[in-house]
Amino acid sequence: MADPAVTPGGALNSSGRGSGAKAASSPAENYHLARRRTLQVVVSALLTESGFDSAEKAAVETLTEMMQSYITEIGRCAKAYCEHTARSVPTLSDAVLTLIEMGFNVDTLPVYAKRSQRMVITAPPVTNAPGTPKSLSAGQKRTHPSHIPSHLPEFPDPHTYIKTPTFREPVSDYQVLREKAASQRRDVERALTRFMAKTGETQSLFKDDVTAFPLIAARPSVIPYLSALLPSELELQSLEETDSSEQDDQTDSENAAGNINSQDDPGADKENSMLPPSAVVSSAKANEDNMIDNPYLRPVKKPKVRRKK
Amino acid sequence: MNRKKDKGFESPRPFKLTHQVVCINNINFQRKSVIGFVELTIFPTVVNLNRIKLNSKQCRIYRVRVNDLEAPFIYNDPTLEVCHSESKQRNLNYFSSAYTAAVSAVDPDAGNGELVIKVPSELWKQGDELNVLKVYIDFSLDQPKGGLHFVVPDVEGSMAERAAHVFSFGYQNSTRFWFPCVDSYSELCTWKLEFTVDASMVAVSCGDLVETIYTNDMRKKTFHYVLPIPTAAPNISLAVGPFEILVDPYMHEVTHFCLPQLLPLLKHSMSFLHEIFEFYEEILTCRYPYSCFKTVFVDEAYVQVSSYASMSIFSTNLLHSPMIIDQTPLTRRCLAQALAQQFFGCFISRMSWADEWVLKGISGYIYGLYLKKTFGVNEYRHWFKEELDKIVEYELKMGGVLLHPTFTGCKDKDSPTPHLHFSIKHPHTMSWEYYKMFQCKAHLVMRLIENRISMEFMLQVFNKLLSLASTASSQKYQSHMWSQMLLSTYGFLKSISNVSGKDIGPLIKQWVDQSGVVKFFGSFAFNRKRNVLELEIRQDYTSSGTQKYVGPIKVTVQELDGSFNHTLQIEENSLKHDIPCHSKSRRNKKKKIPLMNGEEVDMDLSAMDADSPLLWIRIDPDMSILRKVEFEQADFMWQYQLRYERDVVAQEEAISALEKFPTPASRLALTDILEQEQCFYKVRMLACFCLAKIANSMVSTWQGPPAMKSLFTRMFCCKSCPNIVKTNNFISFQSYFLQKTMPVAMALLRDVQNLCPKDVLNFILDLIKYNDNRKNKFSDNYYRAELIEALTNSLTPAISINNEVRTVDNLNPDVRLILEEITRFLNMEKLLPSFRNTITVSCLRAIRQLQRNGHIPSDPSLFTSYAEYGHFVDVRIAALEALVDYTRVERSSAELQWLLTLVHNDPVHYVRHKILSMLCKNPPFTKMTDSALCNEALVDQLWKLMNSEHIYWTRGNASHCLLLLGCLKPRKLLVSFGFWGLADRLSPHSALHIHAVVLHRLLVFHCFFYYLFFFQGGYCGALRTPLFCQSKHPAAQDKHCFSVRFLTYAPAAVCACHDWRLRCGAVNFYYTLFGLTRPSCLPLPELGLVLNLKEKKAVLNPTIKPELGVAAVMDSPASIGIHGVGMSYTAEDEEPDPISLGVCGVGQPPQGLKRKAETPLGSPPEPGQVLQQQQDEDGRGRYKIRFNTMEEEDIDMETVHDSQAFIHHHLNLLERPSTPGKEPPLMEQTLLSMPATPVPSFSKETASSSSKHGGDHGHHHHHHHHEHKKKKKKHKHKHKHKHKHESKDKDRERDRDTPHAYSNSPASGLSLRSPSLSD
Repeated sequence: MADPAVTPGGALNSSGRGSGAKAASSPAENYHLARRRTLQVVVSALLTESGFDSAEKAAVETLTEMMQSYITEIGRCAKAYCEHTARSVPTLSDAVLTLIEMGFNVDTLPVYAKRSQRMVITAPPVTNAPGTPKSLSAGQKRTHPSHIPSHLPEFPDPHTYIKTPTFREPVSDYQVLREKAASQRRDVERALTRFMAKTGETQSLFKDDVTAFPLIAARPSVIPYLSALLPSELELQSLEETDSSEQDDQTDSENAAGNINSQDDPGADKENSMLPPSAVVSSAKANEDNMIDNPYLRPVKKPKVRRKK
Repeated sequence: MNRKKDKGFESPRPFKLTHQVVCINNINFQRKSVIGFVELTIFPTVVNLNRIKLNSKQCRIYRVRVNDLEAPFIYNDPTLEVCHSESKQRNLNYFSSAYTAAVSAVDPDAGNGELVIKVPSELWKQGDELNVLKVYIDFSLDQPKGGLHFVVPDVEGSMAERAAHVFSFGYQNSTRFWFPCVDSYSELCTWKLEFTVDASMVAVSCGDLVETIYTNDMRKKTFHYVLPIPTAAPNISLAVGPFEILVDPYMHEVTHFCLPQLLPLLKHSMSFLHEIFEFYEEILTCRYPYSCFKTVFVDEAYVQVSSYASMSIFSTNLLHSPMIIDQTPLTRRCLAQALAQQFFGCFISRMSWADEWVLKGISGYIYGLYLKKTFGVNEYRHWFKEELDKIVEYELKMGGVLLHPTFTGCKDKDSPTPHLHFSIKHPHTMSWEYYKMFQCKAHLVMRLIENRISMEFMLQVFNKLLSLASTASSQKYQSHMWSQMLLSTYGFLKSISNVSGKDIGPLIKQWVDQSGVVKFFGSFAFNRKRNVLELEIRQDYTSSGTQKYVGPIKVTVQELDGSFNHTLQIEENSLKHDIPCHSKSRRNKKKKIPLMNGEEVDMDLSAMDADSPLLWIRIDPDMSILRKVEFEQADFMWQYQLRYERDVVAQEEAISALEKFPTPASRLALTDILEQEQCFYKVRMLACFCLAKIANSMVSTWQGPPAMKSLFTRMFCCKSCPNIVKTNNFISFQSYFLQKTMPVAMALLRDVQNLCPKDVLNFILDLIKYNDNRKNKFSDNYYRAELIEALTNSLTPAISINNEVRTVDNLNPDVRLILEEITRFLNMEKLLPSFRNTITVSCLRAIRQLQRNGHIPSDPSLFTSYAEYGHFVDVRIAALEALVDYTRVERSSAELQWLLTLVHNDPVHYVRHKILSMLCKNPPFTKMTDSALCNEALVDQLWKLMNSEHIYWTRGNASHCLLLLGCLKPRKLLVSFGFWGLADRLSPHSALHIHAVVLHRLLVFHCFFYYLFFFQGGYCGALRTPLFCQSKHPAAQDKHCFSVRFLTYAPAAVCACHDWRLRCGAVNFYYTLFGLTRPSCLPLPELGLVLNLKEKKAVLNPTIKPELGVAAVMDSPASIGIHGVGMSYTAEDEEPDPISLGVCGVGQPPQGLKRKAETPLGSPPEPGQVLQQQQDEDGRGRYKIRFNTMEEEDIDMETVHDSQAFIHHHLNLLERPSTPGKEPPLMEQTLLSMPATPVPSFSKETASSSSKHGGDHGHHHHHHHHEHKKKKKKHKHKHKHKHKHESKDKDRERDRDTPHAYSNSPASGLSLRSPSLSD
């Protein structure tokens, strides 16, 4: 049970790093090693260029390490620059800026690149790209027309362009549906509460087995009546879904203060005609809203500057 | 009847209050303190008003001025501590009488008060013209334990962001807790109220908000209210908080306030209020008396609804969203109640406590009319029956409820309600349950009156009362007219007789002047030959809570030919009544049977007795008697009644009767009712439970699926798949309620093994599983809660093998399923809380039930955590209920202690009361049972709670001592230093606080001595005992004040003295646990024989012989009070002397005097002592005043503190002139205005006082004889100052030296003829 649990997680991690690896036992590690090896070759080449005949393994390692950090830093900075200008892909200027920032004289770069004694390193062997799963390909793919360069990706499957009605009889049996809905909900609830119970403090009904029937610990709240009285968002949502008429009514009374013209809408009109008293009153109320003379709505008076007692 | 006497209103006070200003200029939420002043405008009604008694509790009073002159005053509150701690009395009778006396002593209705202000002589020498006095009092409140409740949530942010608020509350007249006033419902005046609060807050109070003005720094604003309608102080209230304001869209003069974020709920909940307004105004044909109305919704409310003049304070938990079904009618009811009380209770106030029933009755009655109109006749009749059943049950269990007690010649023995362990003389001594029943009975009686005089007349009477009151209220400057706004029993009855011309005297006599209900037993026989129904109606009027009824009674007989009403006369001796039957014809074929309401129905008559034409008989169908009827008729008759009688009350009666007839026919009748949609839903709900009971009785013969299962399936499940419930749709409320109830009832079914049938359990689990509320307009929280309750109901006791410990492994599989559901529900509730956390509440109950039935280990820790402050109050109550149950079952003293600690400390008053009432309902033990919990420590603890004794209270409370310094004269300086020395001896316990005490110079003394005053202020929680560490010589100070150091004792957390209701609750609990007499766990008193001096008989100490009859028990307060024999109890004391022996009980005077004798000079006034003193104030006060001279010396302790017995005994002796009998005529006149009481002769006074000393010594000698040495020492310095009574003191000393002689004293011989001695 434990192994498969780890594997997908590892795969997830590796794909997260952008390698796009598939199914290999430890592709991430492989890639890592490959890169490292390439870097090592580069460092060795540079050393050779500089006239070293041999080097200790540890020294090479160190240099490789430094090289790697240097490149990584360039990459990181360039990314930062690009993101700073709200782009997602770094451009040349980002890289140049980075180099400048890191104290590198960019002008020397072309000269260096064109130096005579440079060594050319062969590209590392490319592992064959994972093939697309067979099951997904159907029919013959279109080949590229002549005006499309071949390095561009292939056309998708012809199946992409057509509609394939898959006729699996939808589950319409009421009982099964209800059953499904119920057990799904129950499972979700159970998983959620178990999770909450696992992650937080719990209380138990049994002394011998604290994990059986874990209860999320009761935590006093500062203003207990709020959570107890206010409907939860979920409930409000379902209220909105189920009951539009009352909602209309409510928004009516709330919005009416500004625009009573909202009744132009024929649907709203109908609603209002169904509920004449409240609608009339609410709009009437809205009209008067500004005129209501209630002492609590009156502005607070400024103190008199000289108040003689 | 004394009712006849109180025609006009006579104020018990020598003045009339006309106007009062209350100004609270600082409310500090952080410190929970309030600073303000009041100004009372007073018209003296006697010449030379020299003392003004006001009510004030727990307020710290800084100074008092009368017409700009400093006025000396004294403060004494005997209710702080009812009986002194040193008393080893643990007897409830004793406590009750002491408490009653304490409350009487400050009762504003008797003209008394805690605060006695001496009117400066300049003002009372003005001769005949009666001038206006303005009494100005500066006061503050610090962390009030009563009167005002601060709710300050402990979060970040400003007070407004934290939704901190404060509001006034109290049980009955409790306004004195938050400002000095005349705290009586009968003292009306106009009001000006000013509250300065933070700019982010709103202050809501009574009357019209005139203006709101910023303070100069713009950080605060002042709300100015004016209440031009004369109103009694108890009807004044205040609520301050960051309220959201909603102006009622229908009535702009009505404003609603709620706490932040709740505005949408407020909008919805209040959308209905205007209808209630319209209804009341229409039936009363009277406009709402105030010009505006405010509703405020606060957290931690004391009660759900409390009404004050032009405003009502509600619990915030009444607010609800449109999705909630169950709460809606409850909230509307509360609103209707509040509004009814606005008319009767706030606008029209009561004349005296005895008239309370009229107001409660009328407001309850019109509230009932509102119920009838809004919720329908069925609901109304159902409610009425419920109320009737409640009062009947209470009275039969606890004894009668008396609506209009009369207290003429009031002595303990003549208490109108001897069966009660508390006095009903004051609202503040009454238990809350009793008061609730009182209210209930009051409105029931109102309806009885309506039955007699018709509703039309009834409403006319109300209208008349209201018009009279509003006429009176508009008389701005004629305060004598205001008494028209007070309603008395007499006035009400007079109005009734004027309007209706009918005499309702007998009715009033039966139900108002007498307590008890009527208990009828009915049976009948049909005499075929005579075609007569022979009805026999017997009564039980001997058992407690019952009374005999003589008069008409209505009997309705449903025969084949129709329904016929007969009015029978219940007479003394006649039991049998012959009622001729109309139905001569035998069963006609296919003839429809006419019902009472004119309907004609087909009935299947095959079940009937072939010989009798009787279908069913009902006794008193209109409930026009407060009665319980046990009527015997055949099962088929009940079944007919259930099916065909259209009155819901009859149906409910039939259902409860059918429980005794578990037959298939009953089953069928009930099932039919269940299915009948026209039938009232509450009847159908009731039928569910009855059906479950019948099914259980018929378990061996029951055919078919479990009861109600197929019915439920048919009504609420899908047609295609009957095991799945439809998705919720609660549009039809009737079926919603039925859907909620049926599973609960079904879960009560049991099979042959007495287990819940497996089908039923699975069925309920399926209901939970398939519950789907997504498409529902309403919340299903109540439904789900009921489903959990159904699971709870399905539980049966676990079969335990050798008391094995309950573990997860040996869990019953069914229980495991149940437990899983509960766990999931409870956990989900944390993520998505339901309205009012109903589901948590149900889950907690379920868990307790699992524990109680032994399925899971019994463990209180879960409940303890849910019971903590910070959970929603319903959850807390549910958890506490579980804990109370746990305490009883496991006899856990730790949990009991925990609960009692909450009673002491909990910030929410409601929770404290609730714990006590739950403990009373489910006591850990009773007087009948033996329990390890019952020990002396518990007795002491409860006693302290009732008595409000401070835990850290050491003997001799310095703060009280300082009271005495009030009006010291130079010569008494010695005394005062004595006090300071005493204060020094009280060693500090905790932190030192510096407080400023204002010291005033008393100019009238013509000397430079300052008097100190300090108010105990009723701090029980944080008792402040002042300690004068640096008392610079006052004369050297040329300032009016200097600072004194105080010691603050650690909070003792006893606050029953700040909440009458809590104290009464504690008394109830004590009564439940230990009964009236001395608790059995206490060590026996040393004296086996007690002597009742008043009755001159000796009885065995009832504590030794607990099985003594009630009479003996009733003797005990007196007898225990005087264990010893008073040497000089002379014959004079034998005559009824309500002054000295009155309400306080005989036990009281010695008690008070004992303290006087043994405490150091000027020690704290003993509550008992003072109250006793108040009682015999006339006697003693007059006596003292006679000694008083009217020269400049007149401002002396005697006049100012003449109610203070201790002064009389210790200090005034110094000043007592050597020639007694000098009578200042002026004084005499003042006194004449007091309630007339016999004038005790001088000699008698001496005799009785000395006899009391004797009794006193006798009383305490056996407790304290080992302390004699110490006491004598203390007395020494006192004696120095005694010129006059030295000889008497010597006598005392002698008495003291020979304490054991008492039992042999000649006085004991007197009582030998007592019959009880032979016991």
